[in-house]
Amino acid sequence: MFQNRAEAFALVLPAAIFAGAIFLVPVLILLSEGFRSADSWTIQAYIDFFSQSLNQAVFLRTLKLAAMVTAASAVIGYAAAFAIVNLPPKGKGRVTGLIVLPLMISPVARTYAWIVILGRTGIVNQALVAVGLSDEPIRFLFTETAVFIGLLQLFLPLMIISLISALENMPRDAVPAARVLGANWLQVFTKVILPLTKEGLVIGGTLVFTGSMTAYITPAILGGSKVLMLETLLYQRVTMANDFVSASVIALILIVMAFAANLLLKRLATARNKR
Amino acid sequence: MSDSRFLCLEKMTLSYGKNVAVPDMDLDIGKGELVALLGPSGCGKTTTMRAIAGLMEPASGKIVLDGTDITRVPANKRPVGLVFQSYALFPHLNVYENVAFGLKLMGVKGSELDKRVIDGLKTVGLSQYATRKPAELSGGQQQRVSLARSMVMEPKVLLLDEPLSNLDARLRLEMRTELQRVQKESGVTMIFVTHDQVEALAMADRIIVMLDGHIEQIGTPEDIYNHPVSDFVADFVGFENVFERVGNTIKTANGDVAIAGDIDDATKGLAWRPSMVTLGDGPFEGTVRGTSFAGGTREYLLDTPLGQIKAECDASLPAHDFGAVLKFDLPVHKAAQLARTGSL
Amino acid sequence: MSNKLYAPIILLLVLTFLIGPFIIIIAASLSAGETLSFPPQGLSLRWVIKVFEVESFRASFGVSMFLAIGGTIFALILGIPASYALSRYKVPGAETIRTIVSSPIIVPGIIVGLALLRYFVVPFNFGILFALFLAHTALILPYAVRVVSASLTNLRSDIEEAAVLLGCSRVGAFFRVVMPNIRGGILAAFILGFVTSFNQVPVSLFLSGPGVRTLPIDMLSYMEITYDPSVAALSALLAFMSLGIVFLAERFLGFSRYV
Repeated sequence: MFQNRAEAFALVLPAAIFAGAIFLVPVLILLSEGFRSADSWTIQAYIDFFSQSLNQAVFLRTLKLAAMVTAASAVIGYAAAFAIVNLPPKGKGRVTGLIVLPLMISPVARTYAWIVILGRTGIVNQALVAVGLSDEPIRFLFTETAVFIGLLQLFLPLMIISLISALENMPRDAVPAARVLGANWLQVFTKVILPLTKEGLVIGGTLVFTGSMTAYITPAILGGSKVLMLETLLYQRVTMANDFVSASVIALILIVMAFAANLLLKRLATARNKR
Repeated sequence: MSDSRFLCLEKMTLSYGKNVAVPDMDLDIGKGELVALLGPSGCGKTTTMRAIAGLMEPASGKIVLDGTDITRVPANKRPVGLVFQSYALFPHLNVYENVAFGLKLMGVKGSELDKRVIDGLKTVGLSQYATRKPAELSGGQQQRVSLARSMVMEPKVLLLDEPLSNLDARLRLEMRTELQRVQKESGVTMIFVTHDQVEALAMADRIIVMLDGHIEQIGTPEDIYNHPVSDFVADFVGFENVFERVGNTIKTANGDVAIAGDIDDATKGLAWRPSMVTLGDGPFEGTVRGTSFAGGTREYLLDTPLGQIKAECDASLPAHDFGAVLKFDLPVHKAAQLARTGSL
Repeated sequence: MSNKLYAPIILLLVLTFLIGPFIIIIAASLSAGETLSFPPQGLSLRWVIKVFEVESFRASFGVSMFLAIGGTIFALILGIPASYALSRYKVPGAETIRTIVSSPIIVPGIIVGLALLRYFVVPFNFGILFALFLAHTALILPYAVRVVSASLTNLRSDIEEAAVLLGCSRVGAFFRVVMPNIRGGILAAFILGFVTSFNQVPVSLFLSGPGVRTLPIDMLSYMEITYDPSVAALSALLAFMSLGIVFLAERFLGFSRYV
């Protein structure tokens, strides 16, 4: 540890000032607009926002989809992560690489693929008609299901890698020890694996929930104006109505929800622990 | 300047912010000496060493080397070398480049550079490893590279931070003699920091025992081993039974106990090694609470009215059982008479 | 669980879900037909070729490349000294500074873009490209600081002291001893920053003007007009570009160690 303060500040201040000026200050000003009225501070904008049924619906849908994607990715994530950590080292590295790969690819490309799959003439509909399960193509695009699938594909890798590292940090003998002591697999999972990997679950869950909630591309492409989420609503309000107050309100809601999700997941994890 | 005052610390005070780590230290070290700075962790020995190297600026006082005040000379301009505890080799450079690093900065070039690097590697017996990267060397070899890297700079003082602590027991012995050899052959003034009294006693010409930022005792290994000045030093060099003395009594957990023999008036405490305790005879009694076999000797832990006593006797004698009651004596003529107590 | 088929089946399903869509998109982009479909109606490279003929794609590709490369370099110029100070110095208020520097990761990008538009571009008449550059730099900065900090933490700091004792100045010690040893981390940060910036949409949504838009934004608006397979072809090309970069990075410096 070097002690010289002037040197330390000279090194660290450019980055801090840059992030503060380009990022923090403008965002804070934007957030403050939601509380501003002609001459005083008010939460009227928030009351107005939540009194409209469309906004309520969008808010609840965003929460619901984000929660569903998080839950689904946790279930699939555990199954996949458990399978991966038990692979031989070489296979483990390769499969992990394949899981991480999609994260490096443009979300636009990743989401676009679902149009090919779920569209009116997409492979799912072709298959359904060919097998005779349906007489005519079913509408998948611009439904919550499509957005759910798109978001799950986008964020599942984050959950899987969080859980892989959590499972790898688990004491090696914990599971065999529990088995020897007579626990069945369900008990092994709830009493041993879950408590020991809850930090990975909290990290993965926060990433997936926040990512789903603030995703723009997936609801924009797969949901359109039929399945609005908070980000697409924000974009619509600004581009169609120049409504910066609503934008500010939505912005704060998104930030608060991100923090709340993190706190809630942490709380759940510790609550489980105390029992 | 005389040779005995080659490196002088004069009223040197070292502090971290408001915390004074070493107050007003005075110390003279002679030219060509091999000195050990010995003490427990947190005693200020490493801080002192870092100040001599220039990695830390004294809050007050002076550091004089070879007649020159170097207190304000920056670390990169001091003729002082330092072998780090972790060796601090540059991972991206091979052995040769590591050793050449400082010489190149001094402007040494061409065949002169080559000669000095090769000579340095020869001194530590690593000529054939010149193209290896540090990660490909064992701990002992890394230590030697680090030593060579400092030695080729021909420093006036070479500092070593816990030079043997990262080595296994066998290498440690080998490295001890190696360091002594390099020091004697080159004649460099060498100061090494250690918390291990065995290491200090085995290697050093002179030992400086430090405690809580001050010097507790300076002396030859024999001085320190046989005549510790304080209860702390006594305990540190293996006097396991240490007592405060008042008149003809020693203070124990169960009150004062009278003791027979000649005691110097100035003596504030008495200390016995386990081997100095007479077992089987004497005015005191103790119950055996533990025994351990140590090759030539057997050590006993006794519960006595004086508190716990550690005693030792020849392992060829019949062993005493756990719970046996033994007579013993603490002979005053064998005890180390301590000039100071209260630092334990 | 004792069933040996469990692992292969679950992994096959998950990988199909995660990677399958790309295979379909690649196939669809090779279609000879007029509309997007799978299986492709005959094979041809016409849509792949078309991608290179669309003027706006070429322009927006240039913008995205500039932002990804320039923004990442600028973020590293700001981020490396900051990471160094945070890992080697006792910086007063280090936690606050860390929070400020990494805050762009926490706040949704769309808000950052909107805020920059409202308070920089409009009132101060900033150019869109300049604003995009600042926004992308701010976005990459947290990644740069995180990855570079990680490799600095893994590097013992006493080698700098050793270099100083051997005659280096402090600055010299940084360039001679620290930089060569965190080169891998810096390259990893560069790649991560590049990919993040290149794929970024929300930050750029509001920061688009005539002639200046990033490639993903351009793709989104192209899709609003037509569903022809050229976007699929472009998506496939971008996917291959990302994969190529990551593959080379992994091959030559074990990228995944740093991320």
